[in-house]
Amino acid sequence: MSTSSTRTARPLSSVLKPARNAHVQFLVFGALLCLLPVLAQAGGLRNSTLSTLAFVLIYAIVALGLNLLLGYSGLISLGTAGFVGLGAYLAAYFQDDLRLGFWLALLAALVLPTLIGLLVGVVSLRVRSIYLAIASLCISEILLKTFEQLEWFTRGTAGKQSKYPVVFGLQTDRATMFVIIVIALVVVMMVTHNTVHGQLGRALHTMRSSEVAAQAMGVNVLKYKLFAFSLATLYAGLGGALYLFFLRSSYPSTWNLFMSLNIIAMVVVGGLRSIFGTVAGAFVIFAVPELVLKKLPVIGDVAGLPYIFSGVLIVVVIMFFPAGLKGLADLVRRPFQRLRGDRGEAGPPAARPPDSDRPSPPGAGRAAADQTAVKEGRPA
Amino acid sequence: MDLVLQPFLRSLETGSVYALAALGIIIVWRTSLVMHFAQGSMGMFAGTAVAFVFNRSGMPLWQAVLVGVVVAGALGFLVDFAIIRRLKRATSVGKEIITLGLIMVFLGLAPIIFGTDPLLLPRFIASGDVALGRANISYNAIFNIVFGVVVAAGLFLLLQKTKLGLAVRATASNEPTARLMGIPTRTVTLLAWALAGVLGMLAAVMIAPTTTVTPSFMNTVQVTALFACVLGGFQTFYGPVVGAYLIAVVGNFLKLYVSSVWGDQLMYLIILVFLLFRPNGLFGKTYLQKV
Repeated sequence: MSTSSTRTARPLSSVLKPARNAHVQFLVFGALLCLLPVLAQAGGLRNSTLSTLAFVLIYAIVALGLNLLLGYSGLISLGTAGFVGLGAYLAAYFQDDLRLGFWLALLAALVLPTLIGLLVGVVSLRVRSIYLAIASLCISEILLKTFEQLEWFTRGTAGKQSKYPVVFGLQTDRATMFVIIVIALVVVMMVTHNTVHGQLGRALHTMRSSEVAAQAMGVNVLKYKLFAFSLATLYAGLGGALYLFFLRSSYPSTWNLFMSLNIIAMVVVGGLRSIFGTVAGAFVIFAVPELVLKKLPVIGDVAGLPYIFSGVLIVVVIMFFPAGLKGLADLVRRPFQRLRGDRGEAGPPAARPPDSDRPSPPGAGRAAADQTAVKEGRPA
Repeated sequence: MDLVLQPFLRSLETGSVYALAALGIIIVWRTSLVMHFAQGSMGMFAGTAVAFVFNRSGMPLWQAVLVGVVVAGALGFLVDFAIIRRLKRATSVGKEIITLGLIMVFLGLAPIIFGTDPLLLPRFIASGDVALGRANISYNAIFNIVFGVVVAAGLFLLLQKTKLGLAVRATASNEPTARLMGIPTRTVTLLAWALAGVLGMLAAVMIAPTTTVTPSFMNTVQVTALFACVLGGFQTFYGPVVGAYLIAVVGNFLKLYVSSVWGDQLMYLIILVFLLFRPNGLFGKTYLQKV
């Protein structure tokens, strides 16, 4: 773009500036999500749908952690489910067995998985990247067995029961827990955004293009990989605690390899290194089978359908749309952006650009609508 | 009953199963530089096909296994031909995630195609055992051990003594250079994937009599085979085989003498600690990447 066109575009960008700010976007997104429980109470949304959406948001938190790991450092973790489960059981143990309250339970669910994640990372990250996948699979198997066998901690296969927590002296219920989940998600989105735009993000970006070059520039590769992995386990622990507080029960069979694979699918389908993409990916992988596929006439009863759905999506997305939903959204948005840019260039500098550009928000809105249409129409 | 020899013999039997699965993983890794996470699931799928054919058609087991060889080979062939080789621009991480996606596809497809009822698969040799000192070993166990060793040995001979083996080793050592030397690396890779499928199917058929054929019956084999590769190192073909037998023996003794519940988990921990001291595995050399 020439300097003159940037100058003409500036008034527009200053008008839209708050909306372009990622943090504002996250807050608006969160505020919109908070309307859902209200809608549910008014009868506009089924409670079961609200629960499904809550799980989408919880999985989105976990998937954002994995996106940091996979998208920025190209590391695969196959132990996500184990860490989420550990977070869930710790939250239950601290809240219901030790009666230490919501905050300490949350803290325990954050700290312990992260520490274990650090240990696993130290052991496995020194060799080849793929060792992390195997080591985390290792630890996930150990954790799964622990969930089944350590009765005093998890109640074994009978399942651990819990109740809605008391937060700030307030007894929560489904709706308030939903809001808490939304708050957690927004915080996680902001932290993720800041992390990838900060020193860690720059280091990880450098490492992605060339690990050796990054090392030569003085980037401690092991340190940053370790940091990315511990952040991923931290998010997993948080997701686990929220899962428990919302569902109020946990069974060992939930935390198997396929949950880890589903989380990977969310990241891949949503688009690597995209925050909103990951949330959309979580929606596609978890909510579409739950809300749409199960209700289909003939194939809806097939037990393995969600697996095939996720698996085929992973394969198709990597083969044909490596950028995932984020890439699709960009593709849809591009013509509108070009339109806006052309108009800015075509218009005389003296004309008031904000007026001439006023039609663009509806255009942007249509782009967003197209995006959701694509998102929901994508089942393979 | 001999408390050392008996569990040792039994470990050799499961070790053979792990060794075959690990060989499949390593041969794909060496030729395509992709960690084949779907090895167990593809073995499960082909193994279920064997059980399905065996139970439905009443053909003898060896014929059903031949059907399995065709199915497994075709699956491996198809995965490489239709997916992996089309991913020229994808990184190996992308390809590995594809194999993770394939796990889910095969897991979801198996009950749809072969039904949800658990199937049973008999042993190759139905009955009879032989005393070995104070230990007993069934003919079938002997068969499994011998079979595993023979397949592994045959594969080594193939790799070391034949022209095809030379092509595989050249591809494994440096794919672009091998291609420039006129080695049909694409065919080699294709064969490697098909072979991995067959090895996985054989592992599945061997482990099936000890359990029922359900979509999850290969999970332990898959996980153990991956650990065997880590333990043995990814640089040699024999390392993972040794690793597989070692894991089977150590795991069995841990289960017998330390804790029947936590034996496997203890072994996983031991492998993790081992990695700390020998990150490249038993037979691994230090991995250096040239810039």
